[in-house]
Amino acid sequence: MRKGNLLLLLLIVCFTSCEMLESHPYDAHITGERGINAKNCERIEEAMKGKKTFRFAMISDTQRWYDETEKVVEKINERGDIDFVLHGGDQSDFGATKEFLWMRDIMKGFQMPFVCVLGNHDCLGTGEDVYKAIYGNPNFAFTAGNVRFICLNTNAMEYDYSQPVPDFGFMEDELTNLPEGIEKTVFLMHVKPYEFIFNNNVARVFQEYVKQFPNVQFCLYGHEHQLTVDDLFGDGILYYQCPNIGKRTYLVFTIKEGTHEYDYEAVEF
Amino acid sequence: MNMIMKQLNFKIVLLFLTIYVCPHRTLAQKDTLLYRTLIQDSILIPQKSQATIEEEEGIFTEVPKHYRKYDKRVHRYRSAWEALIPTHTKIQYAGGMGLLSWGIGWDYGKRGQWETDLLLGFIPRYSSRHFKMTMTLKQNFIPWSVYLGKDFSLEPLTCGLYFNTVFSDDFWTEEPDRYPHGYYGFSNRIRTHIFLGQRIRFDVPEKYRKFSKSITAFYEISSCDFYLVSAFTNSYLTPLDYLRLSFGLKFQIF
Repeated sequence: MRKGNLLLLLLIVCFTSCEMLESHPYDAHITGERGINAKNCERIEEAMKGKKTFRFAMISDTQRWYDETEKVVEKINERGDIDFVLHGGDQSDFGATKEFLWMRDIMKGFQMPFVCVLGNHDCLGTGEDVYKAIYGNPNFAFTAGNVRFICLNTNAMEYDYSQPVPDFGFMEDELTNLPEGIEKTVFLMHVKPYEFIFNNNVARVFQEYVKQFPNVQFCLYGHEHQLTVDDLFGDGILYYQCPNIGKRTYLVFTIKEGTHEYDYEAVEF
Repeated sequence: MNMIMKQLNFKIVLLFLTIYVCPHRTLAQKDTLLYRTLIQDSILIPQKSQATIEEEEGIFTEVPKHYRKYDKRVHRYRSAWEALIPTHTKIQYAGGMGLLSWGIGWDYGKRGQWETDLLLGFIPRYSSRHFKMTMTLKQNFIPWSVYLGKDFSLEPLTCGLYFNTVFSDDFWTEEPDRYPHGYYGFSNRIRTHIFLGQRIRFDVPEKYRKFSKSITAFYEISSCDFYLVSAFTNSYLTPLDYLRLSFGLKFQIF
């Protein structure tokens, strides 16, 4: 019997550090890399410095499509012409901690930097806390060449008006402290205005804020799992929707030198 | 208001914990308890002399029958409540029910092959905003027990399921009213887990018995609804991703 006891003890020791021991699916126990958005924004800014043309890809709504996400990482790497990748939110379906870790580990396979915005599913349970720990503040911005990318949390419904979403304070701050040499702006969010998760009382106000930025190229979003392009407010600013990764589609945008010159492509894989 | 609610919640949790401690104390004195119960359970009729009986005979013929019915009823009442006395306590490490869970349980079935546990656990804060308590209702089925000798027995298979709930304002059983009905279509508060495991039981020899009749050590491999639905559609996830391990001890009180 002593041998058996020893074996059991050994097993316990072996598994104590093991990933299989979990206190709860929502335990927010994070192992591995954190603060990814800040690090990758820095990498993008460094790599795109002085460039007026560059190309980026967008994926979105990767929740519970691990195989497809793994595939898209492989496909985007294979192309070799993508400078960075944007994720449109909803990398988790339930907000469970492990979902974020699995997704992060897959996306770490990108040879280029990537950033993620917060999706409505990412807010469930302790999901928002996990997002903040792994990626950082849900409102952030970075510069690629002469383009400012404003990445926003627009999941107002998930906060039940307890926090300003979208955060106009952040947008004003961005506007007044716009870095030198910025000529164009791109917006990235998870939910578009007029979708019920958005705070639609301020949909038009939001657009007024958007329009104040220099040469808004377009707005990018995900959430509805479809490929759409709309001029939502009839003012010429296009809202591009990136379909969920289950549709095996990603978007590619090429920013060019002209003020409103860019290419757009939806790539099926 | 929120603060007060949180404090209240904490008090309820503390109350639960004290209730869990109590059975230990009362049951440690189980022998006297049983003795007391037996005395209370019987109706004591003072011995009457033959003369008194004869004297009263004509008047109280139905009395003994009345007493017996009452007696049976009280007996049934007592045994129904006695069945609620937990037969064991359990402590479990990990398994998606908290870092550590502790609680009471009941054995039943012809060979004691069924077990139901009610466990209270805690989740450390980690990267979230606050520490959380959880509660688990667990159903076990232990079909076989093999005697190994020297007071040890092996239970080669245990299986069952458990439901876990989190005490926190961030979780809901049904979506709050602000969402369209059935928008998310799942509860983030209630998790369902299934498990398989093995146990080894040590029967404490009578002369060493203090609190427990037997002590059982077990391990379990489990998975929860979230992980299973993710694993079904993704080959990316390996068993190490969707299976969870946990360990525990069961202390049989009687």
